Amino acid sequence: MASAAPQSTLSFPRETFAKLSPHPYLLAHLQPNSTSSTPTRANGRTASQFRTPHINNGSLTHAEGSAVVRIGDTTVVCGIRAEILLANNVAGYRVDKSTTAPSSKAGYNEAKELDLLVPNIELATGCSPAFMPGQPPSTLAQSLSTRIYSLLHSSGLVDGEDLRIWYQPPDLSDRDRMDEDDEEDAPEPVVKAFWTLYIDILFISLDGNPFDAAWAAVISALKNVRLPKAYWDADREMILCEDSVAQSKKLQLRGLPIAVTSLVFKAKEQKQAKDHRYWILVDPDTFEEGLCEESVTVVIDCGSGKTKMLGISKAGGTTIGALEIKGIVSLAERRWAELSDLFNS
Amino acid sequence: MAISAEPTALLSHLHRTDGSATFSQNGYTVVGAVNGPIEVQRRDELPEEAAIDVNIRPAAGVGGTRERHLESILQSTLRQIILITNFPRTLIQVTLQITSTPENDTAGSKLVQASSNLAILPALLQTAILTLLSASIPLAVTLTSVVLALNNSNGKARTTFKAPTVVQFQAADSVHVLAFTSQGELLVAESEGIFTLEDWDEAYETAKALCCDETAGEVIMQDEGENKGSLMSFVKSTLEEKVAKDLHWKD
Repeated sequence: MASAAPQSTLSFPRETFAKLSPHPYLLAHLQPNSTSSTPTRANGRTASQFRTPHINNGSLTHAEGSAVVRIGDTTVVCGIRAEILLANNVAGYRVDKSTTAPSSKAGYNEAKELDLLVPNIELATGCSPAFMPGQPPSTLAQSLSTRIYSLLHSSGLVDGEDLRIWYQPPDLSDRDRMDEDDEEDAPEPVVKAFWTLYIDILFISLDGNPFDAAWAAVISALKNVRLPKAYWDADREMILCEDSVAQSKKLQLRGLPIAVTSLVFKAKEQKQAKDHRYWILVDPDTFEEGLCEESVTVVIDCGSGKTKMLGISKAGGTTIGALEIKGIVSLAERRWAELSDLFNS
Repeated sequence: MAISAEPTALLSHLHRTDGSATFSQNGYTVVGAVNGPIEVQRRDELPEEAAIDVNIRPAAGVGGTRERHLESILQSTLRQIILITNFPRTLIQVTLQITSTPENDTAGSKLVQASSNLAILPALLQTAILTLLSASIPLAVTLTSVVLALNNSNGKARTTFKAPTVVQFQAADSVHVLAFTSQGELLVAESEGIFTLEDWDEAYETAKALCCDETAGEVIMQDEGENKGSLMSFVKSTLEEKVAKDLHWKD
């Protein structure tokens, strides 16, 4: 009988053990037999230890803002390109009086209504063995795009005012006006155009935790954006931009939210098993993502001294309750301090 | 037209699927169908458990990135409650068709479809669970889910909207979708907007009372008259009605 062979003669190198039985491999790391060795994850980190982030801003020449974020072996490039959307090209856009304008309604979000922020994620071929060339965007890429999109809008990160291009009509009594502001009497400033930001996120390599890295790249790139001074030229009836860098301005971001993802690793592989021990692993890599079902992402901003939550998303299990969320938030606060130093340096 | 915040459901009304349900609440109506366990494509086959495939179709147009995201939330949730290890190497296919969404002619020009993901999520989860119950797929637990909108812009005064309207939803500082199992464990939590941990705690308690708590349901019943109680008892009573109807021939 093969199983009668003594256990000691059957030994594998670490990599083989990890490939053959990944779950026991990670479990063996987290609860070592000997009391002398400290429990770590297979990648050498402790359960609540993040990977070191590296951020490089402005590396793309032809983008208005860009950032390369590297967290462990996950590397993301984010480039932001700004384009001008003329207000008279917007279907149904009216220059209303401030009381009846849609912008005066509660919950109106101009950037969302006019699609002024357009994020897109591409998981490049070769960033991970899971992505084959010539395939349509994977579910992961689509899901990530949606999450980035809704977080960009729900956090209100970009001030709508930064994206408007105003024009002050000259105060002339016999002015021949542009078609749409005929009915106005006093020359009020009018919005002639909007900046549209195309936020493209490209994964160069993916080793787990794509959302945190992608969001860090978006924040860093948005901080890096310089929009040229744009103005409406009434004679040529078009928007012109100033060349000089001195007149360009940065976006005023509201806060500095960061995302922290954690996974729950359970000691039991089968649902029926009795073993209820679990570990919460922050900043997981691909190997760990394959072994865990439950994930929690919290988005927090501690900029104003007080911790502000901008999002929680949790699915895939019942281990994490209200209490565990608090623990994860306090871990995220630590990460925020680390990342915000990098963003601001 | 006033939109009813009351949940209504219809079970097993599609005859060519293994299970079906229509659920509507808060202006959203979703028709769900489940087929399974059926044969699985070799590519998706899992050796030790059933594969779960969730398809979400929007009320208008074809599904986009938003639907893929909702599908991935539902898929990972349903994997937890269906006893997938009972059906290795098979497929359980859940199809959810959104048939109506609340109109929002007052809340801006865009279709609701293009806006937030979260408002529709409870209806989708609830339809999925009723559909699975209708198909008699073995489940470990059932779930119930609610959406809450929180407003705390004016200082301390925190207002919670249960079953928010589209306008309340858009104007809210934060919106929360929470789903609990029948044992009262937190299964799904999705929150957006700006809030504090205390806000979230309150949303958690309110949602838990709405979903699971029998006694809290009775309090609401007294307050709002027609409310039937917690969502858990709604699921129960819907199934009881269905079983009573199915056993009608015996009388």
